[in-house]
Amino acid sequence: MSLVRFLPTPSDRMGIIWSLLAVQGAIVLEYGPAGTTHYSMGLYGGLGLRFQNRLFTTHMSEDDVVMGDVTRLEEAIIELDKSYAPKVIFVVASSVTAVIGTDIKGVCRYMQNEVKAKLVAFEQGGFRGDYSVGLAETYKLLVRNLPQKDAAQEAGVYNIIGASAWRYRMASDILEVKNLLGEALGLRCNACLCCDTSVDELQAMGKAQVNIVLGNEGLAAAKYLEEKFGTPYVYAVPYGYSGTVSFLEQVGAAVGKAPEPMVLMRIKMKEKGMSMLSMFAMMGGSKPRQAAVKGDYDLVRGVGTFLAQAGISVTHKMCAHSLKAITEPSADVESYAEEGEWLQEIRELHDTLLFADDVALTQADASNMKVLISAPFMNGVVATHLPFMGEKGADFLLEQIQGYYQK
Amino acid sequence: MGLKEDAMWKMAEKMGMPKSAIEAIKAKQKNGDKSAMPDMGKMMSMMQDMKGDKKDEMRKMAEKMGMPPQAAGMDGNEILGRLNRLSKVQTIKDVPQLTTALFPGTHCPLMGAAMVAGGIDDCLLVIVGTDECSYYTKSLTINERYGGIAGRCVSVVLDSHDVTFGSTESMHKAFKEIVAEYQPKCVMLVTTCVIEVIGDDYDAIAAELTKQYSIPVMAVHTEHFKCEDHFPGLERAITACAAMMQKQDCDSSVNVLGQRMGNFADTELHAFLAAAGVKLGVQLPSGCTAEEIRRAPAAKVNIVVHDIALPLAQAMQEQYGIPYVYFNRFAAPEKILQAYQHLFDYLELPLPAEIGAKFEECKEMEQKVLPEVKGVPYIYGNTQYECFELNSYLCSLGLVPQLIQSNKLSEANFADIKSILAQTDPYICKAANIAPLQYVYDVLHPWFYMGHEFGERLRRKGIALLHSDPAGKMLGFECSSFMLQAVAKAVADAKKFREEAGL
Repeated sequence: MSLVRFLPTPSDRMGIIWSLLAVQGAIVLEYGPAGTTHYSMGLYGGLGLRFQNRLFTTHMSEDDVVMGDVTRLEEAIIELDKSYAPKVIFVVASSVTAVIGTDIKGVCRYMQNEVKAKLVAFEQGGFRGDYSVGLAETYKLLVRNLPQKDAAQEAGVYNIIGASAWRYRMASDILEVKNLLGEALGLRCNACLCCDTSVDELQAMGKAQVNIVLGNEGLAAAKYLEEKFGTPYVYAVPYGYSGTVSFLEQVGAAVGKAPEPMVLMRIKMKEKGMSMLSMFAMMGGSKPRQAAVKGDYDLVRGVGTFLAQAGISVTHKMCAHSLKAITEPSADVESYAEEGEWLQEIRELHDTLLFADDVALTQADASNMKVLISAPFMNGVVATHLPFMGEKGADFLLEQIQGYYQK
Repeated sequence: MGLKEDAMWKMAEKMGMPKSAIEAIKAKQKNGDKSAMPDMGKMMSMMQDMKGDKKDEMRKMAEKMGMPPQAAGMDGNEILGRLNRLSKVQTIKDVPQLTTALFPGTHCPLMGAAMVAGGIDDCLLVIVGTDECSYYTKSLTINERYGGIAGRCVSVVLDSHDVTFGSTESMHKAFKEIVAEYQPKCVMLVTTCVIEVIGDDYDAIAAELTKQYSIPVMAVHTEHFKCEDHFPGLERAITACAAMMQKQDCDSSVNVLGQRMGNFADTELHAFLAAAGVKLGVQLPSGCTAEEIRRAPAAKVNIVVHDIALPLAQAMQEQYGIPYVYFNRFAAPEKILQAYQHLFDYLELPLPAEIGAKFEECKEMEQKVLPEVKGVPYIYGNTQYECFELNSYLCSLGLVPQLIQSNKLSEANFADIKSILAQTDPYICKAANIAPLQYVYDVLHPWFYMGHEFGERLRRKGIALLHSDPAGKMLGFECSSFMLQAVAKAVADAKKFREEAGL
């Protein structure tokens, strides 16, 4: 327990709910006090998620808490099943039910006989870690519960795992990835965990030829699908030009198809064009060129690598969440137990190219060049065609780098 | 839009739109004319009216287009069958939810406490709770009133260690940092659900911190599982301010307690007080400082403009002998007149003649409205007025409440309930659950809905919308005349909308 001056890192439970709300054809039912659900609408709406008639709460009374009475939950499950006929009801615990130890899984198990919808229980109440832990748990639970065994593999189909609605401009990134994979390899996306997907797509995950992991938290789910369906996976996040080329080559290798040469050539030409940055560097004399990146693990790594390729020394790769759910985390990525730690580092930056969230950007002094790249963000409308990933994303990042060199 | 547009045309075709018409519109669109796009609202409305398999098919298609799922299996009669009648309820526990699964559900008392802290300019709000509670409250307070992103709302976030071993030690450590960084004049230490479940004694912690740092630190408990909405949070935060007060010599001022919205200076009540030369004391929580709260016991009388301030007024009466006048947003002119009379009696001033004139104006307006509104049925959702007082008044005008939604019921309400029951016995349920209400409308066919709803959606069902938000900034007879005008307009709208809907 420590002092938080700004916005706390979202909890595992919050990560679970924003992921589940991206699944059309399902309903999310929270078992806990209603105020949290009402309060959360601002956040989920800001992330572009649709929650009308898809997010419900049971509310709880003191009697429910003291006596451990789950009648309300049972009734709500039956009512939602009957009223909305969803394919799946995700039953999510609250902090209160997690502390009092309500057996949500047990309730879902015996209530499954009473309803047509598939019940999937999430017992995390916000105390098992931050949203990164919640994302990993969601991907795992979704792939364990929803994909149907009889789905025949289809050539040219892939799934995406690890697309979190929390990432700033995630929809733009997904659009860019889909466009690139379509153009370079003629591939088609089935399910996208968890960004604008559906129960039908999740059930059909087994038909994919490859699973593409865009967030480290999705690795365990991809490994499970490899075991269960024999689907290979590629963990590559396309940041920067060489990162994008490598991404296309790895996915191509997994599906046994070489990427369209013209696409690769186009991106490689752009990478070559980066050499002009050395001219700006020379013009700047001995002025040190340094950058810091704050955001999700894969963003920090990917953008950090691209910046280094552009001749900029990356002094801080600041992970916005804990590394608890990250498989084999890179040694140069820092994580912070307390807000005060990253705050101090941000406040000490000068003349730095800073890619970060809105809170961190407000705390860095004016000598820095600031670029919003991660959440939390304060703007209400987020573009869906301006990615950070892929070729277009690298174009944007390069513009910022050039601007910094010319500063 | 491509895929969605395709689905939309398929939907239009299923609804019976000729293929040739669809092709013609598509051709027009190709030439840049977008005027012929199908109206989604009308299509949704048509879908509601469909029966059988076709309706189910349409529902599935609508969901594919990203529209909210429709409650195909919900039945208005069944919902009403589960509700109680007003005559059968004795406590709030007898008031059922419309459905067990709620959307959006009520606001959190934590939000209520945050609103009060926002009105005390130099009060630091410290939330003790989960990341989630803290995140949402901080998001709510990122505005000028609280000093922006780096403003006066901070949190001490619980982790699993605190849940197991208690949070006292960590709180003391965090508070030391708070005092060093923010140097607050006063602090509201707002605890949330989990703190109450694990049982940490924040009243004791607040007392220790007050002593240690010589600043008022007030514990405000906001566990939502013990209450229904955000009002207890407002009430407890206001009541906690009693601890900051110190005995003063009377300066003949009046305090205004409980005004949440607007500026008191814009109200009719303020105009009468100003004209009578009455000095204003503290306005809590609508903009005051810790020092003004400390000096609040200098008042001659407290004006309680909302129930949330009643416990504070009662505590001040007990401790400092300051009387209070209950001056809520009343709808009935007689109650408003009575409140003015009490207030001016306490102030030992004559009742201004203009007050009597305002009363007469309201009564005349009543007579004008009466023939139009008599017998008109409505559903009560939520308003800026006291629920049962308003419904009782509307019953006295001959209107008929079919369903009353309320999250609060106390002994004090039973006089009004009795007068409602003398006219009719409406259904009663808890508020803030508008999704299932759609199906109740189809059974009860009210003429208007009082509260927050989607006007266009109601209109398609032949129902007018009456929302009373502007009255939140009013006090006095202006509340009564506003309501009379709003009801008259709603009835006039309803006549038109019912005709449109074929009712």
